[in-house]
Formats: sequence, C-alpha cells, structure tokens
Amino acid sequence: MKTKRFGFAGVLAAFALAVSTLVAPSANAATEIVVWADESRGPNLAKVIAAKGDWVSGYTVKVVTFSSFDALKDAFDKATDASGPDIVVGGNDWVPTGAKSGKLAPITLTAAVKARFNPTQFVDLTYKGKLYGVPVDINNVAMIYNTKLVSSAPKTFGEMVSNYKALKASKGLKAGLCIAGGGMSWGAHSVFSALGADAYQFNSRGGIVYGRAFNATTFGKNVRTFLMDGKKSNGFFPATDTGCKDNFLAGTVPYAVIGNWEWADYVAKGFTMNLMPVPGVAEGTYGKMFGSVSGALLTTFAAKHGVESGAKSLLTNFFASTDGQVRYQALEKRPPAEKGAQADSSVSAAQRGFGSAASLAGIPQIGAFLNSNKGGANYWDSAPAYWTAVLIDGKDAVKEASKLASIWRANTDGGKGDL
Amino acid sequence: MSYLIRGKIALFIKVIVVTLFVSILLLLAQSAFAQKEYVIATFLLIAVLLLSLTYLTKISVPLKFFIPGILLLTAFVVGPILYTVAMSGFNYKTGNIISKEEAIVQIKVRGIEPAPSGLTFDIKLGTVDGKPAILASDINTPEYFISTLEERIPLVASSLTLNEYGVAVEAPNFTPLTDSEFSTADKLFTGTRFTFDDQYFIALEGFEAGVVSQQILEFVPEADHFKNLVTGAIYTDNGRGNYALADDKSAILEPGWRAPIWFENYSNIVTDSRVRGPLIRVFIWTVVFALLTVLTTFALGLLLALALNKPIRGRRIYRSILVLPYAMPSVMSILIWGGMFNTEFGAINALLGTEIAWFSDPNFARVAVILVNLWLGFPYFYLISSGSLQAIPSELMEAAAIDGANPRQIFRKITLPLLLQILSPLLIASFAFNFNNFNLIYLLTGGGPRNELDGEIAGATDILISYTYKIAFGTGTQDLGLASAISLIIFLLVASISLYSLRKSKVLETFA
Repeated sequence: MKTKRFGFAGVLAAFALAVSTLVAPSANAATEIVVWADESRGPNLAKVIAAKGDWVSGYTVKVVTFSSFDALKDAFDKATDASGPDIVVGGNDWVPTGAKSGKLAPITLTAAVKARFNPTQFVDLTYKGKLYGVPVDINNVAMIYNTKLVSSAPKTFGEMVSNYKALKASKGLKAGLCIAGGGMSWGAHSVFSALGADAYQFNSRGGIVYGRAFNATTFGKNVRTFLMDGKKSNGFFPATDTGCKDNFLAGTVPYAVIGNWEWADYVAKGFTMNLMPVPGVAEGTYGKMFGSVSGALLTTFAAKHGVESGAKSLLTNFFASTDGQVRYQALEKRPPAEKGAQADSSVSAAQRGFGSAASLAGIPQIGAFLNSNKGGANYWDSAPAYWTAVLIDGKDAVKEASKLASIWRANTDGGKGDL
Repeated sequence: MSYLIRGKIALFIKVIVVTLFVSILLLLAQSAFAQKEYVIATFLLIAVLLLSLTYLTKISVPLKFFIPGILLLTAFVVGPILYTVAMSGFNYKTGNIISKEEAIVQIKVRGIEPAPSGLTFDIKLGTVDGKPAILASDINTPEYFISTLEERIPLVASSLTLNEYGVAVEAPNFTPLTDSEFSTADKLFTGTRFTFDDQYFIALEGFEAGVVSQQILEFVPEADHFKNLVTGAIYTDNGRGNYALADDKSAILEPGWRAPIWFENYSNIVTDSRVRGPLIRVFIWTVVFALLTVLTTFALGLLLALALNKPIRGRRIYRSILVLPYAMPSVMSILIWGGMFNTEFGAINALLGTEIAWFSDPNFARVAVILVNLWLGFPYFYLISSGSLQAIPSELMEAAAIDGANPRQIFRKITLPLLLQILSPLLIASFAFNFNNFNLIYLLTGGGPRNELDGEIAGATDILISYTYKIAFGTGTQDLGLASAISLIIFLLVASISLYSLRKSKVLETFA
C-alpha cells in the first residue's frame, strides 16, 4: 500500500514538473524570416539568398522546401500561427482564397518598385484592390514544333491542320497539335483563343475590355472547320492532354503546347527551343496565352511572428529586384517577371523564347474570374468538358461553346468585384 | 510461466521504455501547446498521465494491455469523428477559417488605405531624442522631412547627407539605426503611424519605404461593429461569421470567421438543389460500385483459388503471378491503367482497334472503374479463398461424392456456404472499404466524366467520398462544414450497412 502511494506521488510529481516545462514554449527568433517554396524553387532560393546574406539588414532568411507544389499548397492551407511562413512563393490563384481566408496580408509598393513590372502582372496578385505579393516568375506556355516533321513555323492554324493531314499516314502521326503543359483549360487557352474564344482583351491603359470576350459562334464554327470531320474529330487536336508529351518527344505529334517549367526535358531530347504562340486563323494573329506570374506572397503570419516589415523589405529588396531575380532565375531557369532581369544577358534561349511568346500573345490569368464559382459553375473546371463534348461525344460545337461562354460571362461578372 | 528478463533489469527496461514514450509525447504536447492546439496538447498530457500511472504503478493489470489501444482509438477514431461532428455545425469554408478576434485584427489592417495621391517616400529608420522617427525623402519633388509620432519636421537638402539616388541618409538630430539595431526595428516601428498631416499618416512598407495612408475602417468594440470613416457605413456582425452592412447583406468585410450555424449544413443537403440532386445519384452509384466490386473480385478470386486448389503443373508460378497485382503499389497500377484506357493514345483501344471514349462516356467510365478495381482486388480474395479452402475438411466433400453429389452440387451445397461463413466479415469489410475507395476514383477518373457545361457538379463515377472531397477541396470555395456534414452521413450509412450485414450473417453471434 505504501509503495503504491509512493508510486502515485512520484508519477504526479513528475507529471507536474513536465507540465511546468510547457508553460513557456520556446519561440522562434524574431529576426528570422521564413520563406516557403516548392521542390523546384525552394533549393534555388535557398542558394541565392545564402550567397548574399544581407538582403534585409539584421535579419536571416530561412527557406523551407516542400516536396511538390501541391504539398506546399496543402501545408499553407493548414498552416497555423506558429508553423506558418512569413512569405510563401505560390501561384497567383492562391491570392483570392488566401486573402479571403485571412492567410495573406496586403502590401503597398512604391511607384519605383511597381515600375519594375508590367502592370498587368499585378492584376494576378490583386484581390479587391489590394496587392498581396510581388511577381517572381512567369508561368506560361508556348507552342513548340518538331522540325523533323515540319520544316518551318506555321503561319496560320489552317496550315498546321493541312500539314497534319498531309503527313498523318506517311509519318504515322497520332495527332497534329496537343497540350503537353497546363492542361485542357489553362494550357489549351491558346487554342481557344486562336480559334476565336478570347478570355478578355485589354485596352491601351491596361484595363479589361469585357464586351469582346468569348465569341462562341466564331469559335464554334472554327472548331467545326479545323478540328472536325462532320460530327467526328479529325484527329488533329486530342480532347485530353494524356500522352501528349511522350508522343511529341517520340515524333508522332508535330506541334505541342508546352509549359516553361519543363523545357529542359525537351532540350534533353534534342529539341531546339523554336517556340511561338499558337497561330490564329488569319495570318499574323496568335492565340492568347495565359502568362500568369508566381508570386512571393506576404502572409499574415509575418505580423504575428514580429517580422512584418522585415518580410516586406525582403519582398522589395530581393524578390522584386533585378539583382535578386537575375541571381534566382540563373538557377531556376524560368522567365523572370522583373523587367531588368528579363533584359539581362544571363537569360537563356528558352527563357527568352517563352518570354517573347508571352510578349506576343500573353494575357494575365485572373484568379478572381477563373477560380470563381460565381454563377454556379467554374470556367476553369468546365473548359476541358468542351473538348470532350465536341471532339469525343460529337456534340454541336457552337451550342457547347455558347454554354461555356455563359459560364465565362457569369464568372467574369461575379469576379469583377474581386479585382 | 518463465520470463526472459525479470527483477530489477525488467523494471529498469520498463522505466526506460516508458520514459522514452512519455518524453516523445511531452515533446509533441509542447509543440501542440506552442501552436495553440490546446485540445491536442491536453489529450497528450492526459495520455502521459495515464501511461505513467498504468505502467509505473500497480493500479490495474488489464489496463496495461488495453491503454495503448484505447489511446490510439481515441486519437485516430474518436477524435476525428468528434471534430467532424463539431465542424459540421460551423460555416467552416473559404473566407470563414480564422477566429473572430483574428478577423477583427485583419479587417483593421485592411482598413488602412493609401492616400489617393499615391504618395510614397524613401525612408531611413532612426530616432530623434531617443524616440522612433523616420527620415523621409521624395526624390522626385525633391522633398525631405523627419517624421515622428508627434510632428513632421521639414528639412532643406543642404543640411542633409544624400546617397547616389538623392535619398537622405543623415540629418541633424536624426540618429539612423545601425545594422545591429535593425533586429529590433520590426518591434519598434511596425504599425507605428508617423505624422504626415491632419488627415493622413505615414505607414511603413518595409524598412525602406513609407506610404501616405489613412484609416478607412474603425472598429467600435462596445457596439461590436466596424465604421467606414469616409462614408459612415456601419458593418455589424451578421451572425454568420462576417461583418455586413445592415441594408445590403452581400456587402461583407473580409476575412470572416468560423461561426456556429448549427444544423444548417445538414439542412442544406436536403434543401440546396445543387447538393441534393447529385447526392442521390452518387449514393446509388456508390452502393452499386461497392457491391459490384465485392462480387466481381470475390468471384474471380474464388474461381482462381478453386482452379489452383488442385495439383496442376506450374501451380507455384501461377500463384506467384496472381499475387503480383496485389504486391504492386495500387497508385502505380491505377495510373498505368489510366494511361491504357486513354482514348487517343491508350493501349486498350490500340489492341482492340476501337476508339472507345473510356473516360468520357459515363457507362464506359463505370466499366473501366470496375475493371481496374477487379484487377486490384481479386488477388486479395484469391489469397483468402485459397486459405479458407484449405480449412474446409476434405471429408465433407468425399462423403458428398460417395452420396452421389456432382462437383457443382458439392460446390453449391458445401464449399460455398462454408466459405461464405468464414469470409462474411471480410466481404463486409471489403464492401465498407470500397464504399470509401477514394484513391481509385480520384486517380483513375477524377470522378468524371461530368458535364460541367450543363452545370453538373458530380461526375458519373463519383462516389460519396470523392464527391465530398470536391465540395471540401475543389477549386473556388472550399466548404469544409458542408463536407463534414456529408462525411458524417457517410459514416452513419457505412456503419449501419456493416452492422446490419454482420447481424444478418450472424458473425457477431459466432464471435460472442
């Protein structure tokens, strides 16, 4: 009995001692700025930031790398006050949800810093009139063509279709043009646009012109002309992106829309970066491509960690500076967003190729529209269904385009208020 | 009974092992505490207390065997269920994630607007008479001044030291921060409002820039509302996790917070046609999918087990080959099958010489799902059927054969009933597993095909769990509260069906 009582007393005393150690948990150093990034950007950011340690006087920067972009998003969604980053390098489409949910904090840039970027790039990172980060790199697609199959750059969409039909049997082609990067909505937008379904157009002041968006009739008729044989697909443009990259690399598809994050795979297979926008129906016109930016986004955790001003300084001194972007993109190999870095001699042919394709036909991806469910449906998720409905199920190209156009208009009408 | 280790050595090892576990749990508790996860921290502390009491005292011998299981059950089954129940009563969705206190802080921050002039200054941080101050430069005008909390002191360029860009770096009576002092600058300067004029103040945007700003939204704690200082509009708590205008409920301030809405998520399942419509169709397909999967995998597994139950040449090789799909990670198998079913480039259409739109046609997509699950699932039933066949006494079959029963009658009247009696719990478990077979649907078809153009939310192969995932984590608004409500209904459904089946098969009575 006595032993039992001593046992109880011992356990309770040890427990009380243990609990007392929990009362004042150690806090992170208030001079450390924590940056979260994915498996590609993270290691490169860590190297660049470490190489020049004084981006923000008196502060150290710790880069935390996640195994994938999805893992990063997942972690950021679940981040808490204690665990969350001060800056996260993420997609522009994180801005509306992050801002709405109170995970991202607004930042005001000086005119001098703003002047370093194309104004439309800020549209991507803006929610309800407030900016939530700075543009870091450009994510865009461009069309690459296989010079072993076609000798020169096509001038029109029709020329590509003709080439495909002429070579189909002799070269064993499985398709003419396919989407290898960005999926059948974002990546395929250049095809939507080339055939007449523009998301939005911009006026000379950078404002959005909504009235001329998504001409369903013109687009649907062009789909019938260029992609169909009666009610069936003519085989030129597959309805899904599955297998596109492999088939292009294998030489069974002459034209492919590829993402700038994977150009090295194509170079490794011996392809030169002969990149261009998807040609339009008329010569000299091109399909518009979503040229979204990834942003270094300021989080609300920075203020809770007591490093808000330090994090803002890191955003302007490193992420939004020519020096920072040149150093970073020398490793990351994406087209830089900052104008000075774009003009730098260290930019590679591929970065330049994607950059020039974007300058010819790039438009910003606006998350407020694309991710909105305003009107009951989501353009982002619905666009792939158009290709399936028409090219596989044989539904009417114009009628289905009208449905997609309605979703687009409902999304943009609802999303206007979020800009 | 003999023990390998006993006495003081056993006691020493026990103390070491318990201490190790308790230390790990305390470390986790500290981490949870630091992250303000008080419920988790409390649970871990209770676990520490219970483990210590159980293993370091003689309070109860049976508890020594049960306590790990009880703690794990609480942590990974009871806890998540209770959390899901709690969340289903909140408007827990995009825009309503944080607490009300946090939301108020953030609305105040967002309530600071730059002046319409867009005026910004290059600044140097420092002190004047030991108090925080900024040395501001507008290199375009050019204009220079020192600003403190109380006043703005204009300066002439001739009295300043300027850098190569024309930004003032030193001024009379102004002591710039040294590099080492910057480590405390965030604490001293962030949020400070430096004087500009009567209407506006200068807010820091980093350590190098100041923006002329004004406070647009003001929180009035006594009335629990926000007031727009320019328009006079009042935003009150709408009881649903947002401050909203009284005469325009859609005009809300963001972010919002998690607010209790009690049973509204459940009523939405019934009243919201966008949720209700697909739910019934998805439920029917879920049941059909789970039943067909169990039937097909069991049938094929049993068939192969019966075939290989007899001594045939190369039986070992066949057995090894048949187990291969089970040995391969299902994620890889599913992705490979997904590629093989591709309409344009897939091996299946190429082999058959067809152009079947496997993942675009609802019926073909359902067939593909069942076929792939058959591939993934039959080795399991082959293995357990093989084992069970060995357990059936051969005398029963021999006696039946002597009585004149043919092989088909022996199978129908003896083998199958006995097998079903043995395998019933596993068949029911397989049904419950496939009822929630998220991986297969998500990786193979993504729940599709669905006609988004006609506003369909659920796809033809969506099962309840994948449909719930779409609601909770789809693009656009993520509605975790509604997803929690649907999850609970799924839980109740699976639990009811499983319990009913177990009772009907009298398995529980057998165990009892």
